[in-house]
Amino acid sequence: MIKMTNSQKVIRFLANNTVPILFLVISAIGIPLSGYSANYLVSEVIVRLVRNSFLIVSLLIPILAGMGLNFGMTLGAMAGQIALIFITDWGIVGIPGMFLAMIISTPISILLGWWCGKILNMAKGREMVTSYIIGFFMNGIYQLVVLYGMGPVIPIRNKALVLPRGYGIRNTVNLAGIRKTLDNLVVIRIARVPIPVATFALILLLCLFVLWFKKTKLGQDMRAVGQDMEVARAAGIRVEHTRVISIIISTVFAGYGMILYLQNIGTLNTYNSHMQIGMFSVAALLVGGATVAKANIRNVFLGVTLFHLMFIVSPMAGKNLIGQAQLGEYFRVFVSYGVITISLVLYEIRKKRELALAGQSLAQAQEAQP
Amino acid sequence: MNKRTLLIRGGAILALLVVSVFLFLVGKSHSVLVDNKAVDDLPALSLVEVEVNKLGSLELTPRDRDKFDVTGQRHSLTVTYTDQMWEEHVIRRTIKIPLMQDMVMVLLPVLVANPDADQSLWLELYEPPTYAVTMAEEEEVVTDDLAGLVTDLDM
Repeated sequence: MIKMTNSQKVIRFLANNTVPILFLVISAIGIPLSGYSANYLVSEVIVRLVRNSFLIVSLLIPILAGMGLNFGMTLGAMAGQIALIFITDWGIVGIPGMFLAMIISTPISILLGWWCGKILNMAKGREMVTSYIIGFFMNGIYQLVVLYGMGPVIPIRNKALVLPRGYGIRNTVNLAGIRKTLDNLVVIRIARVPIPVATFALILLLCLFVLWFKKTKLGQDMRAVGQDMEVARAAGIRVEHTRVISIIISTVFAGYGMILYLQNIGTLNTYNSHMQIGMFSVAALLVGGATVAKANIRNVFLGVTLFHLMFIVSPMAGKNLIGQAQLGEYFRVFVSYGVITISLVLYEIRKKRELALAGQSLAQAQEAQP
Repeated sequence: MNKRTLLIRGGAILALLVVSVFLFLVGKSHSVLVDNKAVDDLPALSLVEVEVNKLGSLELTPRDRDKFDVTGQRHSLTVTYTDQMWEEHVIRRTIKIPLMQDMVMVLLPVLVANPDADQSLWLELYEPPTYAVTMAEEEEVVTDDLAGLVTDLDM
């Protein structure tokens, strides 16, 4: 084992945390420029944590199984949206409406997750790009169902939901019946900042589930599959089956996460809400210091905080700096895509460096032998 | 799959179905319209106070109509009115709304005239007029956020 000096340790820490540090610097510059008060920023970050954390936690299990970042979570988001359209049509409101939507989304998510997992098993090593394209493909099917199937094939009673032509769902669906029902269920105020306790409790429950799941037999199997598929197979683990289950779990949680996200927003953009959700969730996780192969709950919360802090600050900072809020908007969009690119590149560099270090230590060990 | 696993899975699905039905029944929203208009030969009440469940009371004068939004099928209805002799009367009834009915209307003059009658006499199943539900104008479906950007570039 090569012993590292202090400066090497610092360099290693900086290299391993480049993205979070970069975002800390951007936020440190942007916050004073935006002119927002600390109270406003804290309350906004809490809103974003409540809105996005569940979705991002859903990405952790496929990473554990070595399948990378599951861009296919949009499939779960679509399932969640279909469930929300149904409960809006039936007029089910409040907490029962939200939980009924979760139950309805579950079989759809399981079916889509199973199908996505089967395809990803055929594209081992290229899971991320495959799941990304599956999301686009499924978006076409979703549009076909919602735009042409709902009305003539799938009965929709509520005329306010249907397009004037008589079939298909309108561009926006008002989710007034479930808007902020969970967020407003139990609210405490700390320094005039409202904290939605019930939603945080649900997110905490999911985090505890993930922590518990990692310790189960299935969780350990997933870890083994993630480390080396061939070794896992030799140990008697059903590799393909385990990978499919990880994607199913992720898709189901993504569906629940989308329902939580939309209950917070209160409006469903029928044809667009799910489109960017995968990209932004992945970007937030990477900003938190996660990699394609390693992520934990700390990365989720750090990522949401830093990523969305930049989202909040950049339009106003752009306006105050250049006079145009639009530039801040562009900035945050290109940063979202840029951070994914940087993270992927850094991951590859780090992997090569670690391989080189392992080679060096092996060579040293061989030289030391008499 | 052995018999025990099959039973557990079947039981879980059954339990989910039961929970779904329960959530549907509990969460189904209805609007209860309270209407103080003259019905045939029954005149409107000069002043009446209506409360559904514990949602706060509403005061209605002749020709007034108001609305309570409720969830579930069974609700308590309290009507308080003063007659021509300035005597106050309170009518308490329980209403049951059909599951898939979005709106019902309580005809207050009929209820006051027949306080013990079956609810079918004074509770009307109400269908909102079509013009109130659908907008006439066409709506362009936007399935791609970038489509707008591309159009902007073309201009």
